[in-house]
Amino acid sequence: MSVILDSKVPNGPVETKWQNQKFNMKLVNPSNKRKHTVIVVGTGLAGASAAATMGELGYKVKAFCVHQSPRRAHSVAAQGGINGAKNYQNDGDSIYRLFYDTVKGGDFRAREANVYRLAEASVSIIDQAVAQGVPLAREYGGLLANRSFGGAQVSRTFYARGQTGQQLLLGAYSAMMRQVDLGTVELHSRRELLDVVTVDGKARGIVVRNLNTGELESHEADVVVLATGGYSNVFYLSTNAMACAVTASWKAHKKGSYFANPCYTQIHPTCIPVHGENQSKLTLMSESLRNDGRIWISSKKGDKRLPQDIPENERDYFLERIYPSFGNLAPRDIASRQAKFRVDEGFGAMGETAVYLDFKDSIGRLGEDKIAERYGNLFQMYDKITGENPYKQPMRIFPAPHYTMGGLWVDYNLMSTVPGLFVAGEANFSDHGANRLGASALMQGLADGYFVLPYTVGDYIANTTLGAVKTTDDAFKNSENEVKTEIQKMMNIKGTRTVDSLHKELGLVMWEKCGMSRSKEGLAEAIEKIKKIRGTFWSDVRISGAANEINPELEKAGRVADFIELGELMCRDALTREESCGGHFREEHQIDGEAKRDDENFCHVAAWEWNGTAEKAQTRHKEELKFDNVKLATRSYK
Amino acid sequence: MLNFLKSSVGRKYIMGLTGLVWVGFVLTHMAANMLILFSAEAYNKYGHALTSNKLLLYPAEAVLLGAILVHILCAISLTIDNRKARDSRYAMQPSGEKAPPKPSQFMGIQGSMILAFIIFHLITFKYGTHYDVTYDDVVMRDLHRLVLEVFQSPGYVTWYSVCLVLLMFHLSHGAQSVFQSFGFLERKMQGGIKVFAWAYALIIFLGFLSQPLYVFLIHKN
Amino acid sequence: MESKQNINLKLKVWRQKNAQAKGEFVTYDAKDVSPDASFLEMLDAVNENLVIKGEEPIVFDHDCREGICGSCGFMINGNAHGPKKGTTICQLHMRQFSDGEELTLEPWRATAFPVMKDLMCDRSAFDRIIKSGGYISVNTGGARDANNILISKVNADEAFLSAMCIGCGACVASCKNASAALFTSAKISHLAYLPQGQVEQNQRALNMVAQMDAEGFGACTTTGACSAACPKEISLINIAKMNREFLRASITKKEEAGGGDLA
Repeated sequence: MSVILDSKVPNGPVETKWQNQKFNMKLVNPSNKRKHTVIVVGTGLAGASAAATMGELGYKVKAFCVHQSPRRAHSVAAQGGINGAKNYQNDGDSIYRLFYDTVKGGDFRAREANVYRLAEASVSIIDQAVAQGVPLAREYGGLLANRSFGGAQVSRTFYARGQTGQQLLLGAYSAMMRQVDLGTVELHSRRELLDVVTVDGKARGIVVRNLNTGELESHEADVVVLATGGYSNVFYLSTNAMACAVTASWKAHKKGSYFANPCYTQIHPTCIPVHGENQSKLTLMSESLRNDGRIWISSKKGDKRLPQDIPENERDYFLERIYPSFGNLAPRDIASRQAKFRVDEGFGAMGETAVYLDFKDSIGRLGEDKIAERYGNLFQMYDKITGENPYKQPMRIFPAPHYTMGGLWVDYNLMSTVPGLFVAGEANFSDHGANRLGASALMQGLADGYFVLPYTVGDYIANTTLGAVKTTDDAFKNSENEVKTEIQKMMNIKGTRTVDSLHKELGLVMWEKCGMSRSKEGLAEAIEKIKKIRGTFWSDVRISGAANEINPELEKAGRVADFIELGELMCRDALTREESCGGHFREEHQIDGEAKRDDENFCHVAAWEWNGTAEKAQTRHKEELKFDNVKLATRSYK
Repeated sequence: MLNFLKSSVGRKYIMGLTGLVWVGFVLTHMAANMLILFSAEAYNKYGHALTSNKLLLYPAEAVLLGAILVHILCAISLTIDNRKARDSRYAMQPSGEKAPPKPSQFMGIQGSMILAFIIFHLITFKYGTHYDVTYDDVVMRDLHRLVLEVFQSPGYVTWYSVCLVLLMFHLSHGAQSVFQSFGFLERKMQGGIKVFAWAYALIIFLGFLSQPLYVFLIHKN
Repeated sequence: MESKQNINLKLKVWRQKNAQAKGEFVTYDAKDVSPDASFLEMLDAVNENLVIKGEEPIVFDHDCREGICGSCGFMINGNAHGPKKGTTICQLHMRQFSDGEELTLEPWRATAFPVMKDLMCDRSAFDRIIKSGGYISVNTGGARDANNILISKVNADEAFLSAMCIGCGACVASCKNASAALFTSAKISHLAYLPQGQVEQNQRALNMVAQMDAEGFGACTTTGACSAACPKEISLINIAKMNREFLRASITKKEEAGGGDLA
């Protein structure tokens, strides 16, 4: 039975929806707030900002992270910047334009109301970050500096060299640590969520594994917030950190949270190409490089010449050629796909799987110093990894899995289909549609944490009767037992396949069949292959060590088990979505290499409901998308 | 104020301050003693002038003694804390571009050796054989003669020179890090301070070294 | 130094079952290592073989593998993060090593960073230092327009250079006194360079230095080993700035030392 999902978007014009919603919310009496416990899982931008803000409001917050220190969450690695519709550059930016760009950039598969709220919050985020002491780049006059980013023709991206994510995360982290000091936030590090506990249909707590001791611990609360990031590691090789996993979201999915649009994954155009079999991850080179770097390939097939030997007239600046108005700043999905097409056609740099990103012109125009000031750390990083100097020769880049737009389905209030379970940041699906524009992930994480959740969580608490629960209740004990059984089951297999080898196998299937371009046969084939991998995992995986100690192999195994199940769902989602949109490109649905949307049949969110076991395919539900403000149109960056 | 003294940063200030007293003293001591290269009379008269005014001598001695004691006490207490902070040793030491400059690694050993030297130095000279000499009807100590005697011994000159090397290293690091400890350091000063500290330490070293060498090699009794 | 051929290495690795156990060095072979692999990828391959052989893999902390999260870090032949300056271990590539080399891998050693297992140690002391005052006390909401605070480019850049610290602990590990002065001072100076941070700067300096001492880190003896080992090459001038901040705070009257939550 398919249900129509209610997004609970408030009425009224898009510009006033959030204002009205905030006013209509029921408030929690300040002195009652400390009686309510909020669990926040994940301490990246969304989690840390949510924990800090709700701590400031007076809730009793318990924050959880898998790392030893909350500051190590993968938001730290975001490089390029954060959008803010400040119009400081006087170039015609506005909240409405940011909203418009984001909806269009997402290929009309995002919820308008959420995106508008995001654009509104973007302004306050910059103010908040600066007040916290985040050292965003400045001009000589002391004002904030901006740069432009893909998918936009205005300069609205704030940045701290190539370490914007780090600086914003340290801001949110320090705000949270201040609350830890004040006693409103209780920090539980090195804990991995292994189950969400529901009581009377509402999320009332979590079961976590203490990664230092292997002990299982239960924690009760009135509200559970998941801010546990995305699932790009399903591809094994991605720009995500090693610990990034879908596990928390997946456990919530199994407890009733619908998983929305899993097939919307973003392949980032500018990453360092794969170099070898033992490679464990891919490294992103910030999209901001496309501001001053030009992407090109040789116009001759199979050209093995060194880039410096290829004369100017034999170079094909293909993004500038195909998209004259956006050029190298075309959105990520488009830039990635074009690079893939060129390489598939045999034009790859030196005959390999890469294209050039060249700074020669901008170094000539601005000088090496200026380029170093803008991208110094990125150039250094490239040099470290490849042993090549990008000041002297062009970088070689290729697309790599980077961000996942899909995630747990949430309504306008960021609540999942399980009451009391909220999802923020990359872990939810809401704001980016089928493609995320650059510099908007940081914006979304912080908007959710600083400016949305603190309101909507309060509204939920004020409107809900929440009986007392204890971790000694059956619901918690049962959960703990289930988790314990599953861990034992995994440990007892004692097979022959290492966790990494299975993960690599899964990743390869996903990359080839559910990566930058997808086809009906490919996806069907992938589903069968993944089922086999699942079978192998549960019969032949080999985990060394014991469950009651520090055991990275066991941690990885649990995550891979969930990735396998997710992979299957991603393929199924991609298979059912008979259109191309944003990062989801179906070979059957294209016009000259451009995505061909089917607004008649697919202008909706697909949200999948878990059916009890991995053997039984999930049920697909829909949330219809309405575009009252941004007219549905074919996206053009030409 | 007690918290200041208890803190690691506070104790570094005290060490810097007391170190500076000696940095100043060592410089004047060295400069004045250069007189030995020129004239016995001047040398002895200077010594007499310095020691005859007890109103100035005793407070000065007290400051020097106090400074070195506090310097040593801070060093000991910090060293105890530092040992506690690093309870086990590495199997290998840093090398290449990550290895810190050597003098900075052995401040404690240098300091202890220098202390031994100072005590020995005081016994040899301040409390050594008392010869008299008369200039302009004033009877004063003939320190010049004692110094000449002492510096005839190759063993003593060697030991003295070794201690001077240690002193140079100790001062070169101390004079650098005092800027750090006091918080005077700015980015653009970094290079300059290093040069300054080494120049200072080298001047002290060469100045002091010239005296026994002069006596030993040229001014034979 | 650069080699294009695969290389073989001998690894002397510190193995320690848990925090209580006594550790020891165990020797492993790393065979057929690609010069393009990162150091951690080389260890991954060693671990993969250990798992297949039924032995426990070498535990080391790591996550982003692009030099920014600060998780990774251990000693390679006595050098924190290995021989290359300005580099974390995850960004260190095997082309830096030559065939047949023997490498000794040890965890960070400091009383305040107890070893948890093998090459992994507990650096939560850093979080407690930040908790004691490494922030500006502003609640969410109500911040004034970001451009209303003018900050000279010079100060913004200085603040950024200090704020770049990734909290990996290489400074502590490489200091003979296990001093956390570089880490603590980087945060103190980052905030002291900015006008927003100046309201609380006295109390912040007092609290953070006190916490740093309470955690059992040693004192700075200005050897410069920390800055040499720092993957972000944080400068020693931060320590000078911390000392200055601390002195001023110490001689400022308590009621003037700044209030708020920090007091």
